[in-house]
Amino acid sequence: MKGDKLEDKDNKKDVNYWRGFRELKNDPEFLEAKKNEFAEELPLDSNEPGMSGLSRRKFLTLLASSAALAATACSDYRDKGAIVPYNRKPEEVTVGAPSFYASTCTSCANACGILVRTREGRPIKIDGNPDHPVNKGKICATGQASILDLYEPSRIKDAMLKSGAGFIASNWADADAKIIDELKKTAASGKEIAVITHTVNSPSLKILFEDFSAKYNTAKFYSYELINDTNKFSAFKKSFGREGLPVIDWKEAKVIVSLESDFLGKEGNPVESMRLYAESRDVMKKDGEFNRLYVVEGGFSVTGANSDYRIRLRTDAIEEFVYALIAAAGENKSDINGLISKYNLKKEAALSLVEDLLANKGKAIVLAGNALPESTHIAVNKLNDILGNTKLYSKESFDAPVMPLTPREEIEALISRMNSGSVGMVIHFDTNPVYHFSSDYKYPDALKKAGMVITMSEQINETAELSNYALGISHNFEGWGDFKPRTGVYSLQQPVIAPLYKTRQKEAALLNWMTDNPGNYHENDYMNYIKTNWEKGVYGAAGAKSDFKNFWFNSLHDGVVLFNEKTDGTFSFKNEAFMPAPAFRASSDAVVILNKSAFLGDGRYANNGWLQEIPNPISKVVWDNYAAVSPAYAEKLGVKTNDLVEITTGGRTLKAAVFVQPGMADDVVAMDLGYGRTGAGVIGNGVGFNSIELIQKNPKLSDRLYADGKITKAGGTYELITTQEQYPIDHERYNDIHFKREVIREGVYEEYKEKPNFLKEEKGETALFNIVPSYEFTTTKWAMSIDLNKCVGCNYCVAACNVENNIPVVGKEQVGKHRHMMWLRIDRYYGGKSDDPKVSFQPMLCQHCDNAPCENVCPVAATNHSPDGLNQMAYNRCVGTRYCSNNCPYKVRRFNYFNFRNNLADGYYEQTSLSLMHNPEVTVRSRGVMEKCTFCVQRIMDERQHATQEGRPLDGDRVRTACQDACPTNAIVFGDLTKKDSEIVKHRNHELGYHVLEEINVRPNVTYIAKLRNIKPEKKS
Amino acid sequence: MDKHLLDYNLKVRLPIILFVVIAVFAVTYYSTYAERNGIGYSPEQPVKFSHKLHAGSMQIDCKYCHTGVDKSRNASIPSVDICMNCHTLARKDRPEIQKLTDYYEKNRPLEWKRIHKVPDFVYFNHSAHVNKGIDCANCHGDVKQMEVVGQVNSFTMGACLACHRKPETKISNYEEIKGSLKKGPEYCVACHR
Repeated sequence: MKGDKLEDKDNKKDVNYWRGFRELKNDPEFLEAKKNEFAEELPLDSNEPGMSGLSRRKFLTLLASSAALAATACSDYRDKGAIVPYNRKPEEVTVGAPSFYASTCTSCANACGILVRTREGRPIKIDGNPDHPVNKGKICATGQASILDLYEPSRIKDAMLKSGAGFIASNWADADAKIIDELKKTAASGKEIAVITHTVNSPSLKILFEDFSAKYNTAKFYSYELINDTNKFSAFKKSFGREGLPVIDWKEAKVIVSLESDFLGKEGNPVESMRLYAESRDVMKKDGEFNRLYVVEGGFSVTGANSDYRIRLRTDAIEEFVYALIAAAGENKSDINGLISKYNLKKEAALSLVEDLLANKGKAIVLAGNALPESTHIAVNKLNDILGNTKLYSKESFDAPVMPLTPREEIEALISRMNSGSVGMVIHFDTNPVYHFSSDYKYPDALKKAGMVITMSEQINETAELSNYALGISHNFEGWGDFKPRTGVYSLQQPVIAPLYKTRQKEAALLNWMTDNPGNYHENDYMNYIKTNWEKGVYGAAGAKSDFKNFWFNSLHDGVVLFNEKTDGTFSFKNEAFMPAPAFRASSDAVVILNKSAFLGDGRYANNGWLQEIPNPISKVVWDNYAAVSPAYAEKLGVKTNDLVEITTGGRTLKAAVFVQPGMADDVVAMDLGYGRTGAGVIGNGVGFNSIELIQKNPKLSDRLYADGKITKAGGTYELITTQEQYPIDHERYNDIHFKREVIREGVYEEYKEKPNFLKEEKGETALFNIVPSYEFTTTKWAMSIDLNKCVGCNYCVAACNVENNIPVVGKEQVGKHRHMMWLRIDRYYGGKSDDPKVSFQPMLCQHCDNAPCENVCPVAATNHSPDGLNQMAYNRCVGTRYCSNNCPYKVRRFNYFNFRNNLADGYYEQTSLSLMHNPEVTVRSRGVMEKCTFCVQRIMDERQHATQEGRPLDGDRVRTACQDACPTNAIVFGDLTKKDSEIVKHRNHELGYHVLEEINVRPNVTYIAKLRNIKPEKKS
Repeated sequence: MDKHLLDYNLKVRLPIILFVVIAVFAVTYYSTYAERNGIGYSPEQPVKFSHKLHAGSMQIDCKYCHTGVDKSRNASIPSVDICMNCHTLARKDRPEIQKLTDYYEKNRPLEWKRIHKVPDFVYFNHSAHVNKGIDCANCHGDVKQMEVVGQVNSFTMGACLACHRKPETKISNYEEIKGSLKKGPEYCVACHR
């Protein structure tokens, strides 16, 4: 057909397309060949000369059948493999029993103490170190999931040398030789050696830096953080003349006012502040009084969700609010009244805030978020000073940095020196400035002019790609370290596994470059260095009575050393720091606020699938960040969730997907940082939008807050996936549905004091019908209680459950199909109106119902009840009908639609290194079976074993589930109901205890303690 | 004629064929049952270790070598250094001991053939059984008399449950320990999780 048309080529009636010159020129051979679909005959019957008479198909048939025959005939079917014992068994290892090592988490600058559970030498679970005075046995989601990074398949496994566009494997000996040579030359030539690091909170590392710059005298050290407290620090220094931040005496705080400060989620050390905050929310304490939490914010944080009163206010107006509060403290309430009408604030909340602050002088604390400008922080310090709230600053301890962060100006000066060619070497000390630095710095261009660039990293990240050397460094669990998180506290980091690959810990590599014999490197070099430092410093300060060797081993065993270090307990405000209120102008521009990601930190953990898949505590969005706007603002902009918008501030634009977030202040757009990475790895690349692009070099307010934003609809959509659908809150039918169905039950604190039994009275007695005869649990009955007063919705329990129970990562697409596998989820409900909702969190897991509806419908009895009250699940009996899931009123059963480890990113999570991570006490489930929370039955069985071993009866209080261990506020209690004096019985019989969906009479074994809001009861007039 | 043939097929041929097929299947099933469960499996081990000599004649306690048996889920096959506790001095002239020493000195893994095995989805706990005083021989047979260890009992779920349901019929030293012995659990999560 086409050949015919070629005749008309010159008539230009039709446009002709040609595939080659032979077609264009009408080669007859070509035209003939075109008629045949295949260029050659298919070799179905082999008659080529020189080949055997065997066709390909026959050959394959014979090959397969002979292989099958060989497999059945020649293998010893009775062979059960081999058991390979240790050749020399380490003394502390008992095969099949875990060992614990105290260490320190290096996931962020807080340096929490951790306890690493290892099995046969492999770390499998992280918990907090109970002896650590700051985090007291708890650890955040990021810290728990950091175990995945150890076994991450894409880690750099040796020293890598840049070659062309990629890297080739080199080795440490060669790299050391070249680097030391270069260091010597650079130092001799007087050019700078710049070492760029994150927060330095290790005393030994500080000494190492000093030693390094003594050896190479042009070496300088710079530290930066994308998410930093710089404004807070500098304001505190100006206000009180102290370097660092005070520790707050939460117990004494009757009123807490948070101004855009997410202290229950992302600021300071949330693990600690959550615990201390919740200690004043304990209904089990008879005399304990509740604190009252006010939150004033533009975004919507976890702290805001937990507040008793929440005031929505655009973030740039918070300073104005603080000045109004200062005026109100001086009995001038006109400013605050003016603000209420100017920004249309919730009047009773704002007035109640003022009233409470004035009534609780010295017993209240005002906290400002670290994204706020320095001037706001100074004003807040002034306010706290006027109200006498500095009394709540701890007199015993203080958070002083080991090394303060490098000021912005110095970083800028470094970059201009790099551009002028006076920097001979740049060493990235496990940092990623190419990703983290504002694009204003043009850091990648500066790197090109900087001589030799070395990046020490666990993975080839954005910065490593632009370096001459990418040196694979050891994970936290493979190295040594010491940390000083607070006055009087030293904590130690020790390896719990030998380096999996040929990596070195970054400190040891630096140490090695200072020696004359780099070939003599040993893994313990840095340990010896720390030991020397400790012998000189900490040993004496701690006043230990034993010799140093004993002291050292005791410290390693405990993971933490406490000693008497005095801190100045006086805080006097320097009035010269405080400026009178500037003229505040109303602005209609959008406020852009950039927040720390809930779990990915500053993007460091973007390649950690577990962390990507834990839903955002508020929006429940997974695998993405987004531009959050309020419903009213979205309407004004004419956008809805999933629409793309362009955010413009200070001449830079970012395209991002909108998420309509109920409860945000109007004219505010909030985005999380740490997404949109290009050098994170297979899992993290291209997830979300890189909001760092909005960060300016010299911002007017702060690097994470801009008040001159413009938002325009960009056209197009982008799909965001949430694990909890947004329901039409304002619709009559759905409004407060969780209260109407009594899924969530709440009360007011004052009313509870008067009428403790209000919950039971509200409900009354109803006779419930039972279709199965009830069973008497005589020996043991397991049950859990979750105190919703203490639960802040942080999701740490979810992370713990994932690690403990070998939960696979399923990926964004599968979550979109509601196939996420987490056994424990935190349900978030919005009550009230959509512009200012009241949030309720509820951890939801298998309720282990006495009359479990799932058990009745399983056709193969794969799920049934154990005599100790567990709803048990036998995987190898399950045939995958999913009837049980269908019949579960709580929707807590999870089905393996695939072998999810194999399904995600070409079997990324099925690689060998990752199988080392699995908890050997829990089956790794494969495709086609149903699974759900087991109440950590492996831990129950462990206690059973110990009870038998010690010849004592089973003690329910000794069983702690993974979520219970992880809960920073101790909201979760687990135990045996037949033990009458146990905590669980007290909780279960508490007057605030209720069960979800009581009326269907499935008799769940998870008791929820109703949340009490500490709001002022409405005045009855 | 067709009718006759059909009659013949249905009444004579089919039953015979069925009988033969079922009989062959049944005979094969039962005659190989024990073998399929691994009974009688006694493979050659890399080092010719004699339980009869060590546990039998010399009466070394099982726990001396199988150290984990009362502490953990795994009884644990002894690490080579446990053998070397004695054999650094004892019987250094024997070829098997020299082989063993070679493993130890070169720090080579000693791969013992596995004999007793429950599937991976079963979480059997040695400690829970041994601490109740149940004699090892109840499951593992009279190892003290075995020159080469082999499997004597089947390790199927049926075998586990037989004992959990009627311990008195299965446990040889039942009378000694019945005071402290409770009936073993029969619910799923006791072994499967």
